[in-house]
Formats: sequence, C-alpha cells, structure tokens
Amino acid sequence: MFVQVCLYFYCKCLWRCLKFVVRKLTGQCELQRICYNTKPGAARTMKIGNCRILSSRLQTSVSVHPDAIEKTIDDIMELKRINPDINPQLGVSLQACLLQIVGYRNLIAEVEKLRREPYDSENPQHEEMLLKLWKCLKPNSPLKARISKQWCEIGFQGDDPKTDFRGMGLLGLYNLVNAWQYLDDFFFSPLSQFSKAEWEKKKFDKAIGYSFAIVGINITDLAYNLLVSGALKTHFYNVAPEAPTLTHFQQTFCYLMHEFHKFWIEEDPLDIMEFNRVREKFHKRILKQLQNPEMALCPHFAASESLINM
Amino acid sequence: MISLEVRILLLGLDNAGKTTLLKQLASEDISHITPTQGFNIKSVQSQGFKLNVWDIGGQRKIRPYWRNYFENTDILIYVIDSADRKRFEETGQELAELLDEEKLSGVPVLIFANKQDLLTAAPASEIAEGLNLHTIRDRVWQIQSCSALSGEGVQVRLWRRLAVPAGHL
Repeated sequence: MFVQVCLYFYCKCLWRCLKFVVRKLTGQCELQRICYNTKPGAARTMKIGNCRILSSRLQTSVSVHPDAIEKTIDDIMELKRINPDINPQLGVSLQACLLQIVGYRNLIAEVEKLRREPYDSENPQHEEMLLKLWKCLKPNSPLKARISKQWCEIGFQGDDPKTDFRGMGLLGLYNLVNAWQYLDDFFFSPLSQFSKAEWEKKKFDKAIGYSFAIVGINITDLAYNLLVSGALKTHFYNVAPEAPTLTHFQQTFCYLMHEFHKFWIEEDPLDIMEFNRVREKFHKRILKQLQNPEMALCPHFAASESLINM
Repeated sequence: MISLEVRILLLGLDNAGKTTLLKQLASEDISHITPTQGFNIKSVQSQGFKLNVWDIGGQRKIRPYWRNYFENTDILIYVIDSADRKRFEETGQELAELLDEEKLSGVPVLIFANKQDLLTAAPASEIAEGLNLHTIRDRVWQIQSCSALSGEGVQVRLWRRLAVPAGHL
C-alpha cells in the first residue's frame, strides 16, 4: 500500500517535471501543443478533454452554458500566460473543443430526461406521436382501435404498446418515429432478401427475423449505453463541429438500426432466441470501432473533412 | 465445497416483470429494462448454490420456443402481473398448459403475484382462486405476492424451501 502511494506521487512528480521541461523547450503549453499537433475532431477534443486544467474547471460547473466557455478560455489563456494576439488560432480551436465537450454532457442530460419520462396514455402528445408511428409504418392499413392486436404487426409485444417502452420511456418512441423515414434503406436494400410486398402483407416479422418496434427499443438502449459510457464521444466529436444535439443522437440510432440489420443478416441466426447473443456481439463490434479516433458512425463519411474550420 | 447447480426457468406473459425479477435477484440496476427479445440468462451464487436463471421472453410470438428450455428444470417460476386483470384468463391458460407438459411434470412451481406495489393489484389469494391453484396435486407449488420493482417478496430462501421437499435440491 505504502509503496503504491509513493509510486503514485513519484509518477505524478515525474510527469509534472516532464511537462515543465517540454514547455521550456518548445515554448508552448500542453493545450497549445495539442491544438497545433493534433487534427481537429475526436483526436484533438478528447486529448483536450483529458487536460487537467480543463477537467478541473469543467467539473465545477457540470452543465456549463455555452456563453461561459469564452470566459473559461480567457481565464486559461491568462493563467497560462498565452498572448491571444500572437496565438489567435488557439482560442478558436479551444472554443470548438470546449463546445463539443460541454455539448456532449448536455446531450446526456437531455437524453436522460427523455428516457426518464414514461409513456403516458393520458397525455395527448404521447398518444399523437404513437399514432403517427403507426401511420408512418403502415400508411395503407388504418388502425381499427387504439388497443388492438394490430400493434403486433409493427413489432410490439401485445395490443397496447405503452408497456413496451418501459425503461427507455419517450426516448424509445422518439427514436422509432424518427427512424421510419430511413426504413427503405434498412429493410429494402438488396442485402435483405425481403420485399416491400411482404411488408405490406404483414409478414415482415417473419421476413426481417425480429420484431421491429421492440428491437428498436432494444437498440435505443444500446445507443443510450454508448452515449452514457462516453464511447460515442469519438463519433460525435468527429461529426458535430459544434455541440452534438438530439438530432445527432437520433441519426446515430438510425445508423445503429441499419447496421444491426445488416449484422443480423450476416450472422444468419437460427431464430429469434439468438437475439441477445447477436446484440452483444454487435455491441462489442461497435465499441471496438469507436476506439479508433478517426471513426464516425456514418456511411461514407470522412470524419475530419467538415471540420477544417475548427 | 461442492456447489450445487440449480436450473430455474422464469416464464410468464409479456410485461409480467420477469426480467426485472431476474435483475433484482442478481442485484443489478432495474431502471433500463427493455422488452426481452429472445432470452436472458444469469447465474447467481447463493449460500453454496449456483442458481442458473433462464428468463424467456413472454411475447405471444416467442411462447412456442418456451418448450426448448424445459429440459432439466429444477424450479419453474411463473410471474403474473397482478394489476393486469384483463389478461388473467390468458395467463391462467398458459400456466395450465405448462403444468400439463410432460417435461415439466413434478417440477415444483412458484407463482409470483408481481406488481403488488400498484394500487390496482389483485391480492395473491384472489389470483390463486382465479387460477384454481388448489387443484394442483402432482407437484409442490406456492404462490407469493411480490414487487420486483422494490424487491419485496423475492427472497431466494423462499425458492429453496419450495424445492427441498420435492427432493430437487
């Protein structure tokens, strides 16, 4: 125990000395070195986020307002004795990074709020959105009653979808309603051996191999876990030049649904009972992909191209 | 010490609370439950016993797969949403079919009258009567009111008391 404590302080001391020496040699502080030597995007923002000077400052105010960022930067520049006139780019770069870091935190809070709001059948807004989901997915066959076995046709478990939202609350519903517009890409691609005619004939559950709605809610859980664990930082810092928003999260969900569907077909499971095994494998694969700082969860997307102005 | 393995099968209609019960048993977070597509399995150590609990989805479409998990079951746990009176008949029917299954013959059954935290929940005695549980003669059975949400009534020792007289443990 004692040895460990000594080792800890020794390493800490060594690290500080090293930083001091490098600073004297290059004439730049850690923040400057990161901003000048690292490409904009996840690689840079994540390094900046790990800097002690920033993490301690950002911790004190958990949800920093975007306006407060400028002041934080001025404070840091003053503390580090960096002249803003000589280093005009540094402030801009730092601001972009901080916007992303704070935005990611605010996004977690926003997503969490939606998740915690349970589906309430007394709330007309919730009901309206649920009925919209039906209309989007089955435009040609009207719903006969609010409580109806028809809900099973789009992959809910029983005759009233409200119980299926469970731990994902309104977040699940929002995601499903948003995902329908990408449906064509999901299911009717040449990859899946499944046609629109089958979908219309209500046989799609059999055809896609799983229940669309409750799998959507399960993938919502996956996206939520990736967000809260911080794994999605790579993706968001690469695709959102300013703060990531709920729209970004929903796009990520759609992408995950799309990829999961492809993965499901590749895995070619025997039956639905293999769902959790396939989901777990998929989760691990996405986690691994997100370890690459260049990664963005979008098809054909060069991560840092849109971030040149940062 | 030899660790005895017990295979527990957790069944019931969708939204009965099977996964919540499973997570509660494994002392895991129960705030992110999603509908079970397929099944979940967890192993829980308890006083020299290793409980392998199989939680199978209750959706109508998945029920035909239940039979694939019958083999070597030591205890059957059947979960009922006590507040969902509209589906008492459906849940009773499913239970009756399970008790008729040859592979489950003689397997002790513990029925959880779940969701007792809800004001509209029916008491366990009413459910027992509605399901004609007193007519079960070929096995040990017990009904227990519980709330998987709060953890009340889901203690493991109760399961063991049920299984011991049947010589399963």
